[in-house]
Amino acid sequence: MKVPYSWIKEFVDIDKSAEEVVERLNETGLEATVETFGEYIPNIITVKVLSVKKHPEKDRLYICEATDGNKTYQIITGADNVKNNSIVLLAKIGANIKGITIKERKFGSYTSDGMFLSLEELGLADNNVDGVWLLPPDTPVGVDGSKLLGLGEERLIEIDITPNRGDALSIKGLAREIGAIFNKKRKDKKTDIQILNKVIPNISLETDKCYRYRGIVINNVEIKPSPLEIQLKLIKSGQKPINNVVDITNYILLQEGQPLHAFDLDKIEGKITVRNAKDGEKFLALDGNEYSLKSNDIVIADENGVIALGGIIGGETTKVDENTKNILLEAANFDYISIRKTSKRLAITTESSYRFERGVDIESLPEAENKAVKMILEFAGNNSEVIGEKDIYPKPYQPKEIKLREKTVKRIIGIDIPKEEIADILNRLEIPTETTEDGTVSKIPAFRSYDLTREIDLVEEVGRLKGFNEIEESFPSIPINTDKNISYYKFENRTRDFFIDNGINEVITYSFVGEEIYKSLNLPLPDIEITNYLTTDFRFMRDNLAVSLIQVQKENLRHQIKDIAVFEIGEAFFSDFEEIRIGILLRGNFIKGYTFNKLGKLKFSTSEKWGFLEVKGLIESYLRLLGINNVELKYSEKTYLNQYESADIFVRGFNVGYFGKIHPEVADKVEIPKDTYIGELKLKYISRKLKENSLKDGYLYTYFKLKDTPTFKELPKYPSVKRDLAFEVDDTVSVEDIFRELENSSKLVEKVSLFDIYYLDENKKSVAVSVDFRDREKSLSDEEINREVESIVNKLKEKIKGLKLRG
Amino acid sequence: MGLKEDLLKLKEDAKKLIEEAKDKNSLDKIKVKFLGKKGEIKQVLKSLGKLPPEERKDIGKIANQIKEEIEGLLKDKLLYIKRIELERELKENRVDITLPSHWIETGHQHLITKTLQEIVDIFISMGFSVAEGPEIEREDYNFDMLNIPKDHPARDMQDTFFINKDGYVLRTHTSPVQIRTMLTEKPPIAIVAPGRVYRKDMDPTHTPMFHQIEGLLVDKDITYRDLKGTLQKFLQEVFGKNTRIRLRPSYFPFTEPSFEVDINCSICDGEGCRVCKGTGWLEILGSGMVDPNVFEAVGINPEEYSGFAFGLGVERIVMLKYRIPDIRLFYYGDMRFVKQF
Repeated sequence: MKVPYSWIKEFVDIDKSAEEVVERLNETGLEATVETFGEYIPNIITVKVLSVKKHPEKDRLYICEATDGNKTYQIITGADNVKNNSIVLLAKIGANIKGITIKERKFGSYTSDGMFLSLEELGLADNNVDGVWLLPPDTPVGVDGSKLLGLGEERLIEIDITPNRGDALSIKGLAREIGAIFNKKRKDKKTDIQILNKVIPNISLETDKCYRYRGIVINNVEIKPSPLEIQLKLIKSGQKPINNVVDITNYILLQEGQPLHAFDLDKIEGKITVRNAKDGEKFLALDGNEYSLKSNDIVIADENGVIALGGIIGGETTKVDENTKNILLEAANFDYISIRKTSKRLAITTESSYRFERGVDIESLPEAENKAVKMILEFAGNNSEVIGEKDIYPKPYQPKEIKLREKTVKRIIGIDIPKEEIADILNRLEIPTETTEDGTVSKIPAFRSYDLTREIDLVEEVGRLKGFNEIEESFPSIPINTDKNISYYKFENRTRDFFIDNGINEVITYSFVGEEIYKSLNLPLPDIEITNYLTTDFRFMRDNLAVSLIQVQKENLRHQIKDIAVFEIGEAFFSDFEEIRIGILLRGNFIKGYTFNKLGKLKFSTSEKWGFLEVKGLIESYLRLLGINNVELKYSEKTYLNQYESADIFVRGFNVGYFGKIHPEVADKVEIPKDTYIGELKLKYISRKLKENSLKDGYLYTYFKLKDTPTFKELPKYPSVKRDLAFEVDDTVSVEDIFRELENSSKLVEKVSLFDIYYLDENKKSVAVSVDFRDREKSLSDEEINREVESIVNKLKEKIKGLKLRG
Repeated sequence: MGLKEDLLKLKEDAKKLIEEAKDKNSLDKIKVKFLGKKGEIKQVLKSLGKLPPEERKDIGKIANQIKEEIEGLLKDKLLYIKRIELERELKENRVDITLPSHWIETGHQHLITKTLQEIVDIFISMGFSVAEGPEIEREDYNFDMLNIPKDHPARDMQDTFFINKDGYVLRTHTSPVQIRTMLTEKPPIAIVAPGRVYRKDMDPTHTPMFHQIEGLLVDKDITYRDLKGTLQKFLQEVFGKNTRIRLRPSYFPFTEPSFEVDINCSICDGEGCRVCKGTGWLEILGSGMVDPNVFEAVGINPEEYSGFAFGLGVERIVMLKYRIPDIRLFYYGDMRFVKQF
């Protein structure tokens, strides 16, 4: 809500600058800003139109004569709303309008001495302006237009309220707040109007969603433009003047915070009912749209159907227009939940619905409406009378009593505030409060009944008016932390550090994914779908990180970045759980090779490219870092990987992840290089050291201890002896089998390492290994080792079919 | 000329030759020439027998001295030549130390996790621990138990993503971790909870996914003053010792009283600029005293315990600190961006 500061000042005695007021409002809890209304534009003047005639040469142009009282101007305009005696704003030669300086201009053989202005050209309306701005007849002629409007002078205060402070959405509410802050009295005079009980409007209330409905009938109104002052206040508050009656309802809404609606009484058929809508009932609103209603909506209806959507918007069929003579002025109070639901469903937000959703003062309803009536009588009806009233208010407001204990204030805010001061603060806020033995007791007025319902709510009121900022800080004594979850946090940090240290860059991508990438990867769509997704690319919650990392790779390929090493730590989502994973994507060189020819000498270094064994090494050294030495790999069947160059990773029988090379067909489809490697590890499973899962509400809580504490083993006293052995085996025999058998074959075998593999023919290969022998009790003799080798080879021959010792 | 003179001349000859020698080979030849079995010293000494015995003794002595002297010179020269040769060899193999290195280039950490870590570490140092919760969250944890009832305008403050799983939403904030923690642990509770959150929004300052850190301290006698002290200390750690803070009363459903916390604008130093919209203050986080309704929802007696909670958006802090103009840059994974930091 944006309103002129001068309007607020009409209701509270305050001599502070707008800046000072805004600063204090912010400090006490209303987010406020201040700005100046428009910009002073020289050479604008009010003029009265003397004559309007069609341009003889140009279609759609008019030649007008206008006077400022002294001088007469000839103005050519395209606006067809200018009439004889219209008072308009004239931008004279030299005025600068929206960056363009007005000059004498010829239209055919006629010269224009300037330009009549619309609200839009003054920068006071966005668009949707019909022609020139016609000022009301009470506007003085020949005065500085900028001064008259207050351009560059009037201060506007804009308030952005939090949902709990509906009470501040009016001039009255702001005056109350400012009065409380600066300890100034609010000025308001009770309005007396004379109501004749000639015609009691026939209104019945048939819904419990309307808490009060008051209708007042006024006859013989004259619909015309509002006086200048009303129009200016509305314009400055960002509203468009329409006609006197409508303007007055808007004016009172801004000033008092009470939405009002005026019906053309003569367009209403018979009895008026306030009721719930019927499902499917149609309603043509003032915004020109037809809405289909539901039973939760509150409507005002006559015998022909819905004439207004209660608290939200009026109807087209009963709207006030220039022919209106008699009006029914409505002031009501509706259930905020209903209003909110209807407003959301139909996507209509109005000044009225905005206020009702946040709570309107039910007790001030008659006073606000009376103020409007008084203005209507003054500005719209020389011969008008208030001929009838009906106020339906089934359950009059009963103020709730709330006690506030001094000790509660102390316990929450941390300082002692005596009960007398508490009472003073609350009374300044117009919350009637008295002191009691241990604190205060307040009767909550209707305008704060929405947000002040508990003792704690009053604590906040006391604190914010006392000035939270001035209260000195202290430091809590925090219990010593022995929490296990810091360990998981450390675990994740250690994981991140490991991959970064190994040259891999961290990325964060959206958890959302689209259908397309899943199709390309031959994957079924993820379980979790967002029902109100933003775009189709953001429709699902990913169930793996590979899809996201491939998109990162593609993004970088667009920038000719072909070598890439990235990882992400994030959740994968499933219908009944989610799990944190690390995903990695690697492609190209991780060490670049060079060749330099200098002084006839060739120096070179080799490139290191990501390949299966490199990725395997990376993952193994990560797991070793965590104390996991026994990793088992099985060929993976991931749809998007090359099944002959990919592996699922098992630790103690648990599948903790996978890695491998992209499938060449998939690579072609998603347009990424075929030597791309992708992997994922289930971080939480690993961090839990593969203990049983404690899924709670689909969430795996983590408890992690980095490695078990190892205990010391005595260092070997005797040397080890190395022997190289080469075996001929069938190609189907895996190297791991040979290693395992070797390691199990003798307790003297300390370590086995591979040094060569080559193929003898299609089905046979030679596997050469180095075996370290060591006896912890003594030095081994050649003879002993020879015997051991012979025995090992024999054992191997038994276990592995077709194995032969070579050489 | 006598023998002595001959010997001294030999010594001078040898000395000169050794000086001139350029390699080991020449030295070997010199050695043979002078000291060999048929070498010149031997030759001179052949006529030794003709001398009287007392002279013989003297000459013999001189001859030995000269022999030793030549041997010494040869040895020194050999060492010298070896050193020269090594030097030449090393020089030939000189490495251009300006060549590009040949090793793994360390990766780059994402600014968001880096900042999250910095923040969490500050709170750990104050004694807080780390809590966590799922991103697909129970609707009641995300809203109702945080005192955000259905059909309350407060639900509009955060535009929620709904999913095909009844009773669950993408969490709109990290605050439900408060609920999870208080349901499973008894006070005193001191936790921070970093993580991803989701809201339906997309423009240069909003992405539908972003990061928050939630903090919660619950104990007996926790007051607003503790909230102020803790946040002041934290913000001074992040933004510098001279950072001033301002608490503006505001509204969050799960705290009462609630505060927006501002710091003085680091860009214009409080003078007023585009970033702080001329106010001299930057809004950094939301906070407040835990609302009694929240305590009641998790079964903690609000008459016995009190506490404060806060939540801050990490992206905003990172953008301010590193002057990043567009929040979406965080999520493309564009290496040209990632490798800048």
